[in-house]
Amino acid sequence: MSFDPNDPALRRRRPRPQLARRDVLRGGLWLAVGVGAAPLLAACGNDQTSETANSSAPYQLARPDKPVTLAIKDSNPPIANGLSPEEGGTFNILNYADYMAPGIMKDFGKEHNVSVQVTPYNNYDEMLAKIRQPGESFDLVFPGPSVLSKMVFADLLQPLNHSYVPHLKNVWPEYQNPWYDQGARYTAPYTIYGTGVMYRADRVKSVPEMGYDLIWDKQYAGKVYVLDDRQEAIAMSLLRNHISDDINTSNPDDVKRATDSLIELIGLVNVKTDINAYSEVPEGTATVHQCWSGDVIAGQYYLPKKETPEVLGYWRPDDTDYVVGSDNIAIPKSAKKPVLAHMLINDLLDNKIGLRNFGWNGYQPPLTKLSAKYLTDQGYIPQNLANSVVVRSDFDKGHTFYEVSPSTEALWQTNWARFKAGA
Amino acid sequence: MPDPGPSQGSGHDRATRRLWPALALPGTLWLVALFVVPFYAVMAIAFSGRINIFNEPLPAWNPLDWESSTFTTVITDSFTPSGAYHEVWVRTAIYSFWALVICVAIGYPVAYYTARLAGKRRGLILALILAPWWINYITRMLAWVNLLQDDGYVNKALGLFGIPPHSWLSGSSFTVVWALAYGYVPYFIIPLFASLDRIDQRLLEASRDLGVGGVRTFLHITLPLSRMGLITALVITALPMAGDYYTNTIVSGSPNTNMVGNQIELFLLEGPQKNIGAGLVLLLSLVLMFFMFYYLVLTQRASREATR
Repeated sequence: MSFDPNDPALRRRRPRPQLARRDVLRGGLWLAVGVGAAPLLAACGNDQTSETANSSAPYQLARPDKPVTLAIKDSNPPIANGLSPEEGGTFNILNYADYMAPGIMKDFGKEHNVSVQVTPYNNYDEMLAKIRQPGESFDLVFPGPSVLSKMVFADLLQPLNHSYVPHLKNVWPEYQNPWYDQGARYTAPYTIYGTGVMYRADRVKSVPEMGYDLIWDKQYAGKVYVLDDRQEAIAMSLLRNHISDDINTSNPDDVKRATDSLIELIGLVNVKTDINAYSEVPEGTATVHQCWSGDVIAGQYYLPKKETPEVLGYWRPDDTDYVVGSDNIAIPKSAKKPVLAHMLINDLLDNKIGLRNFGWNGYQPPLTKLSAKYLTDQGYIPQNLANSVVVRSDFDKGHTFYEVSPSTEALWQTNWARFKAGA
Repeated sequence: MPDPGPSQGSGHDRATRRLWPALALPGTLWLVALFVVPFYAVMAIAFSGRINIFNEPLPAWNPLDWESSTFTTVITDSFTPSGAYHEVWVRTAIYSFWALVICVAIGYPVAYYTARLAGKRRGLILALILAPWWINYITRMLAWVNLLQDDGYVNKALGLFGIPPHSWLSGSSFTVVWALAYGYVPYFIIPLFASLDRIDQRLLEASRDLGVGGVRTFLHITLPLSRMGLITALVITALPMAGDYYTNTIVSGSPNTNMVGNQIELFLLEGPQKNIGAGLVLLLSLVLMFFMFYYLVLTQRASREATR
């Protein structure tokens, strides 16, 4: 197996908060050095930010039916109009690893005479720790709706100046005025995705109407995977077992029942957990894998020689049952090159550059022009996987993970730990 | 020039007396900076229930502020059979035990052969034992994933003997135990080799001269004399094994084979309950310290016997 990081065919999943190989390396070091060091360092910073003793957050939690307009403070204004872009030095991006096409960053660096550097993180806790390091400066960051409010509350982001981002009009209207950031004051959308099941069409004879039943199906035992993500896995069980329609539920009973059903999977199919559907289904290690829609699009590039995308299949729930999500781009307050940062955001919302980035990472930007038909016509997605493109109605009717209270987060995590303990 | 009286000798003594503790200083600082302080931080987090809005634990640096409720829950959930973490502890113990048994079964003969019988090839064998250390542990495990795949070389090789292919990577405890043994066996062999190598050849010759056979010589001379080396090797191997969480993640990935390290990782990597993770770290450390303490008692006793 050859490995060339510049290979455009090497498309990546959306990295999420679980064990990637990179984590393993880092974590191994962690345990070896003395497990205490890292939380110690993380905790050393003197905290002016208020503690949340499992009570309500000091800011409003955003919901689609309770949209939030993030405050713009006098002390933290957007940059002025008409500034010329900064030149020279480095342009620092804080992002998930492999979440933006290297070619785009390289071209951007060349055009503006800067060297573009990415500082990677694996989950939001890590991102927050890095962005809060005193003296650190980053020019771009990718906060999802679930961390956005607290970042604005803690003055970690700066407002956007829309005069630099004319391409914002290329995105779906709802993302020009999203519920988590009315008026797109701090964010531009980056990617959108849904959660479904990817399977080997040559091994799965028939797909039931409730496709999640594939995961609870004994005949695929040993080759069944769920996403190594407590929210995604437990939400799937909540919906599949009709326990609750609320995938952010704080009802201990519902979460427990959903987790118990996941625990059944251990005995039933010896379920495994990871986030590598994009490679494991094409390679055949997995027959059935809960996945993000971006994995499906990336999957075609991981097929063994001689196999065609017809061996892959994607089942997605009805739009009323679909779990969908989005990621954003924002500019940290500490940015040293805020004008360039606005320009890169504008570039990423350009139809051509957006398509190029999609072609590399498999995750779809909410650009109006990039419809399912357009993407299949352009050859980015094989016809049989066209259902992996998320559409606007999915977001109208589907479910989304919100920022929840720490106690709800703890409830889900404790149950997830029960599943992961294989009890 | 002042008279070099008897004071010079005692001055020299004083200097030496100051020198030795001074030499211990870097080690002491190292220990304090990288063990004592982090360990205290773990305790300060384990005994604090507070976090900030960024999910960061706010350590309770003052022991008077410590709350023990989380740690008590961690202990109950670990040691009562219906507890959430009970399974992973049991699994950790069983996996470590069997992996150590395999290490002894494979490592002892290898160490023995290298120390006693290898002759000229000894350097080569030692180099081969150490060779895996040139490659990162994770990389070696990932290599096994390729070998153990359904259509990998292991199944192909077994096929030559008419053995049907086996799904090694489908969450099997067997694979995890062997992977642990494979990963840590060099750590086992080296200290054991060092101790076998130090055994005085003349004792074995004496045993032979007195008409004792090879097996009895081994049981009555070599084994007792290598006992401390064996225990050292077991300790050095068992400590990292008990905290391992990446080996099983790579070769299995099933909740069915998760160990206590996986639970620690789950709580520490993200989320609002890093104090539970810290509590599990503390508990694991205490369990391992118990064995470590027993080991120290044994070494003390052995050195007292040796000097008697």
